[in-house]
Amino acid sequence: MLKVIQLDKTYGSNKHSLKAVNFTAQPGEVTAIIGPSGAGKTTILRSINQLIRDDSGQILLDDQDIRQANKGELRKIRHHIGMIFQNYNLINPLTALENVLHGRLGAKSTVAGMLGLYSDDEKSEALALLDEVGLKEYAYQRCDQLSGGQQQRVGIARALMQHPKMILCDEPIASLDPKSTKIVMDILRKLAREKQLIILINLHQVDIALEYADHIVGINSGAIVFEGPTDEVNDGVLQKIYRQADQPGAVVTANEN
Amino acid sequence: MKTNYQSPQQFYRQRRLRMLIVLLILIGIYVGSMLLVKFQTWNSIVKIPAGLIWLFHNFIPTERSISYLGPILYQLWRTLLVSISSTIVASIFALMAAILGAKTTTPHRSVSLVIRFGASLLRNIPVVAWAMILLFSFKQSDFTGFLALFFMTLGYLTRAFTETIEDLDAEKIQALQAVGANYFQCVFCGVLPEAASTLTSWVLYMIENNLRDATLVGLLTGTGVGFLFDTYFKSFRYDAAGLIVLLIAILVILLELTSTQIRRAIA
Ligand SMILES: Nc1ncnc2c1ncn2[C@@H]1O[C@H](COP(=O)(O)OP(=O)(O)OP(=O)(O)O)[C@@H](O)[C@H]1O
Ligand SMILES: [Mg+2]
Repeated sequence: MLKVIQLDKTYGSNKHSLKAVNFTAQPGEVTAIIGPSGAGKTTILRSINQLIRDDSGQILLDDQDIRQANKGELRKIRHHIGMIFQNYNLINPLTALENVLHGRLGAKSTVAGMLGLYSDDEKSEALALLDEVGLKEYAYQRCDQLSGGQQQRVGIARALMQHPKMILCDEPIASLDPKSTKIVMDILRKLAREKQLIILINLHQVDIALEYADHIVGINSGAIVFEGPTDEVNDGVLQKIYRQADQPGAVVTANEN
Repeated sequence: MKTNYQSPQQFYRQRRLRMLIVLLILIGIYVGSMLLVKFQTWNSIVKIPAGLIWLFHNFIPTERSISYLGPILYQLWRTLLVSISSTIVASIFALMAAILGAKTTTPHRSVSLVIRFGASLLRNIPVVAWAMILLFSFKQSDFTGFLALFFMTLGYLTRAFTETIEDLDAEKIQALQAVGANYFQCVFCGVLPEAASTLTSWVLYMIENNLRDATLVGLLTGTGVGFLFDTYFKSFRYDAAGLIVLLIAILVILLELTSTQIRRAIA
């Protein structure tokens, strides 16, 4: 279970981006974070694996506080947290297979990782994972020759190669067409169910969030304004989440983005 | 600069005016500098045809020049080797310096500053000056030419490599940090593969460039095809000197064609 407690983040000297953020995400469930642009969704996700250092609070993954980890411990924790991005962030000139194997870097010695010395088991597992996301025949293709939806699936396979407890997804479908969106979201939901992973997704598309998420976290101007099961989300809740901070009462339509 | 105009017509009128002013300034600078160096444009232009005819008459290789082909090709080969080897060795050091110096991969800001300063120093000393300085310690030899090219190339490539690395998408490297990769793994599995084709392009470009510079350096260090050119030239064997120029041009073009092919293959 992921438990975020009183997480505060200030960029620079006065930009208060997260204000006492509390929420939980359960294994086996898809948890979606929704909120207007600039609300702090990316900041939350990147604080969880400490890509950005937060100012105060606790981030408990299975009761271990990620914020208290030293450098070596953090590397081990990160090894078990997958992350996928809007821009896929694969290493372009390398093949799909090599990118998937990067998921092992956190568990390898420095030299073995640098030189790409992977065991036969690791290689077979990478190929099996590509098969699982439907990309076996693209294993030896350069990643920049794959479509966006295919690249995102390579990203998922890379995350799975980490044997993750949790996968963080920062707007994984924002650049995808409806068909690829469905493929990617179906895979993520299946992973939550079958492997009991914690799936935490930042989403702009409210309809997708309502369709796929079990648990919804609504954020506005750095503060959590709603947390609960998806069926408790109604128009009133959505208005509260998408209310613009500088114009009290003004409502932005929920699926503007 | 004014940003709101009353009408598009006014905007275009003002822009035309600005371009006219820039043009007048450029013409002014040209005329001013010509007067300063007492260079008479018209007289010089008139002399061009006669000069060209003289050049063609004397520098066109003849059947007699073929006998020089052997030594020329040998020196050309040595010059090519010096330019390739100096570029390759320099690019290895430049790559290490660039990784330490690029803002995105530097271990510390001060290291980055030192490397930038050093590279700028190496780069801004002309290669001819390098050769003359190094002549004191290493006398006239291929090695002096090698070192002169090496230092200049090191400065140049360090800067080019640093900028290449800094231009990479930082999120891709963060994605590797997020899987738990450490510094060296991020560099070897992320930065280098992403940058490889651009870095190779720079190396190929520098080899072409260094072949031209190597002939110049050879004049000073008394080696290679540059020195041969000097010898022929000073003993009035202009046709042989012309043959050298022709062969250098052919080699440079061949080199360019090859590197275009290589670039295309790795793109
Ligand atoms: N590196 C940074 N430096 C300063 N301020 C930042 C930085 N990153 C984000 N912010 C600010 O923090 C706030 C939250 O940004 P964040 O990127 O987390 O929003 P988001 O909800 O992900 O938005 P979007 O939906 O547009 O991706 C914004 O006001 C943003 O301007
Ligand atoms: Mg974001």
